[in-house]
Amino acid sequence: MEAHQLSFRYPNAAGELFCNVSFALPESGFHALFGPSGVGKTTLARMLTGELRGFSGEISLNGGRRALYTYNLERLPGWSTVRRHIEETAPPATRAQAEELLSEFGMEGCVDARFNRLSMGQQNRANLVRYLLQEFDLLIMDESLANVDELTRERIILKIKALFPERCFLYISHNVAEVARFCDRILVLRGASKSPQVVSVQGADLAAQGVAPPPERLERAMLEIVHAA
Amino acid sequence: MLLRRIYQFLIIYCLGVGLLFLLKYALGLSDYVIPSPAEIGRTAARDAGPYVLAVLNTLAVAVLGHLLSIGLATAVAILGRLTAWIGSFIRTAAYNIQAYPIVAVAPIIFILLGDGLSSRLLIAAMICYFPLLLSFIGIFSEPVADIEHFYHATRRMTWRLEVKIRAFENIHKISTVLVGSATMAVVGTIVAEFIAATAGIGYSIRIALYQSDLAKILVALFLIGVGTSLYLVSLEGLGNAFQARLKRN
Repeated sequence: MEAHQLSFRYPNAAGELFCNVSFALPESGFHALFGPSGVGKTTLARMLTGELRGFSGEISLNGGRRALYTYNLERLPGWSTVRRHIEETAPPATRAQAEELLSEFGMEGCVDARFNRLSMGQQNRANLVRYLLQEFDLLIMDESLANVDELTRERIILKIKALFPERCFLYISHNVAEVARFCDRILVLRGASKSPQVVSVQGADLAAQGVAPPPERLERAMLEIVHAA
Repeated sequence: MLLRRIYQFLIIYCLGVGLLFLLKYALGLSDYVIPSPAEIGRTAARDAGPYVLAVLNTLAVAVLGHLLSIGLATAVAILGRLTAWIGSFIRTAAYNIQAYPIVAVAPIIFILLGDGLSSRLLIAAMICYFPLLLSFIGIFSEPVADIEHFYHATRRMTWRLEVKIRAFENIHKISTVLVGSATMAVVGTIVAEFIAATAGIGYSIRIALYQSDLAKILVALFLIGVGTSLYLVSLEGLGNAFQARLKRN
């Protein structure tokens, strides 16, 4: 995925949110979009998936690939249970994978409940599962693991990396240590007054069966992210 | 719920009748102007039977008119939620027509359709139609972004699903609007009967008015209050049962 010279201003806004933003991401891997609140991460994510238009510049996804965007406030309809909803929306070929994901994400005990009966962390996991079962090449996860405890979050990220190595993920998070540890490329988004507005940092990219990265590599990634932000 | 509604009605009714008696005895008004409690009791014993039938007749027309307007308002609101020109046209037309007092059109309906069932039904439906339509347009036009996003992103959204999501998310609001419009349907039917119909409790009140018989009118009002309370309680019960069924796990 490549973005060239993106510029965008919300109607009636005082200034531009993005000014000639350019960056590139590999076709696959688990990457992150990092930056302070209000800097435009969600706006950029919606631009990348085509949900937001009216900007100048160009976004190209290799071979017209399919991009999806999910955020942590999304809800499942309340008229059926989580299991039934997932069965209805997941392609038939992914049934086994659905069970595996629900189990790995720690959802076995609550899949037969309705969405509004779940805790916020369980709601976010249920939402993420249904997106993972869809056909996509790029999935942007906007705070999708908010309200999930650290150990479960780690398990989920490693599972995603193990199950979908050929797909591309862009994880939006405010957790420096997490993105530095698990992500390959970290796009640090900064205010429009800074140039360049996006800085790419190499993360430790911890894999499920991989060796833990040396502490100094992790520290360096974290320092680079904080410095860039 | 039923008892609470009946209590509320009885309190208001007794206050009203008490005020009349206060005026009667304070100003020394004759029984011809405001009947005595004994006269009201005798009238109730004599006319309660036919009046109960008349109230049932009125309620049947009101329920039919209400159902008619619910169906029509739902269909038009589904069209009105569209962002295309037709949706915009329907919304603007509904807002403008709603501002006009529909009762004022009732004589024209009687002239065109006569004083039978169809006129009463049409007026009952028209009186509660526009408030229902405006509420439904508001509900069906308002996206539930947090739920709908997934279906739009995965290209699964259909108009049926969209309506289902918005109706489900606003089920409490819809239930309240339906109960509120039921009162309007009853009022509309009685007004229609009062103007020109040949049946129903509104017609009975008109005859009592020509006879200057306040006792009959008070008995009719009492039965209307009880009948309307029963209808509203039934609707609330249905709404609550439906919501409970949806929320049951």
